[in-house]
Amino acid sequence: MNDLIKTGLHAEHTALKAKMAPFAGFDMPLQYSSVKEEIIAVRENVGVFDVSHMGEFFVEGEEAIKFVDYMLTNDFTGAEMAKAVYSPLCRENGTIIDDLIAYKLEDKKVLICVNASNIEKDYAWFEKHVGNFNCTLTDHSDRYELLALQGPKSTSILKECGVFPEGDFDYYSVKEFESSLGTVILARTGYTGEDGFEIFGNLELIQKLWKKFMDLGVTPCGLASRDVLRLEVAYPLYGHELSDNWTPLDAALAWTVKKDKENFIGKEFLAEYKPQYRLIKLSLEKGIPREGFEVLNDNEEVIGKITSGTMSVTLGKGIGLALVEKAKFPQDKVFKIKVRKNIIDAKFHVKAFVTGGHK
Amino acid sequence: MASQIPNNLKYTKDHEWTLTDGDIVTVGITDFAQSQLGDIVFVELPDVGTELTHGDSFGVVESIKSVSDLYSPVSGEVIEKNDDLEGSPENCNTTPYESWMIKIKLSDNSGVDELLTAEEYEPLCEE
Repeated sequence: MNDLIKTGLHAEHTALKAKMAPFAGFDMPLQYSSVKEEIIAVRENVGVFDVSHMGEFFVEGEEAIKFVDYMLTNDFTGAEMAKAVYSPLCRENGTIIDDLIAYKLEDKKVLICVNASNIEKDYAWFEKHVGNFNCTLTDHSDRYELLALQGPKSTSILKECGVFPEGDFDYYSVKEFESSLGTVILARTGYTGEDGFEIFGNLELIQKLWKKFMDLGVTPCGLASRDVLRLEVAYPLYGHELSDNWTPLDAALAWTVKKDKENFIGKEFLAEYKPQYRLIKLSLEKGIPREGFEVLNDNEEVIGKITSGTMSVTLGKGIGLALVEKAKFPQDKVFKIKVRKNIIDAKFHVKAFVTGGHK
Repeated sequence: MASQIPNNLKYTKDHEWTLTDGDIVTVGITDFAQSQLGDIVFVELPDVGTELTHGDSFGVVESIKSVSDLYSPVSGEVIEKNDDLEGSPENCNTTPYESWMIKIKLSDNSGVDELLTAEEYEPLCEE
């Protein structure tokens, strides 16, 4: 266990008696009290996640925005200043290297936040292409800790801590500013579907902020509740719904591929590509879909697999995302899931299982 | 917080408790097991009439994030299952020793001698 990386809040997690688990090479909190209580706190009140394991790259210079726009399938050039953009990062053949959020901090400064498990792979990919643009690329993953404060009461908590900017700061806004605790990069983003913020800062600031959150009664939340929360709102997770082996168009992310954009890596391929899979949402009245379970049609022929599944605490039902072969997608929308020995009728959902409260 | 380990029951190394009455063995999961699993949200049990051999997986208990197999501590036929757990799986957390899962009518004595006393089981509950 000694070779696992510890975030700057590791001592705080162990003091809170968190159940720790290895994740992407880090020793991360899986849960503190109960997964269920953590989920309820985020949906109804406010919770905080230490997500310092995630990677932070900075792109700076004259062509910073142009470079990021070329790397992403989504439109970054067209996004407003001081806004964030969610996007897949694809190869020329359309396969997904990672999904990320790019933050347009200034016209010559962009922050890119990537999955912890893909930091090296992503950095190598950006580095391979940055030479053609007038800008620099730096990996500052070691310099920044990251907290995600999520839930309907997150705004009032941040204001109480003196970490809230002047003026409008709506959904997907980002700003680097001097707070009462020091310099922060604050973004109104998250992975739970609720209103909330992600706070990037140095170790000293993040430790102070964590302590303030604990003093104000914010519920510390681990990776287990984070995974359930994101599944309830049907957000994909790299390594499950997204992978090196298929494209964003196979994984319900067509809205993030702007084929009419001037140029980006993968454009040529994705413009012509006919998706082979479709990512769908299924629920069970009785039983819980789990990753790897087979998805069947009415004739009980295998048409796909569950990519992520859990018990939804908010709905009180088993929910799952599934990748099904597009050619075998049943027009009658009758789906079944093989749960161990039993074949159980599943409900097809058009919308996310839970509607988060984000603004 | 130390787990409760009643003296009148016998245990398996898989953290199940058993209560033997003649040739009928009642099976559930221990306080330690439920505390390790966390919020229990689903229990899948075998149908009455199922023949089990000592060591067979007879069902699963699921927390929000995990699935754990249940193993038959003895051999015999399932003569009763606790249907209440289907609607109230959380009872396994709150009252593990009242939340029995199945009753098995022994067909032979395999597994019976391997059951542990409370004293023998206790060291297996150290975290």
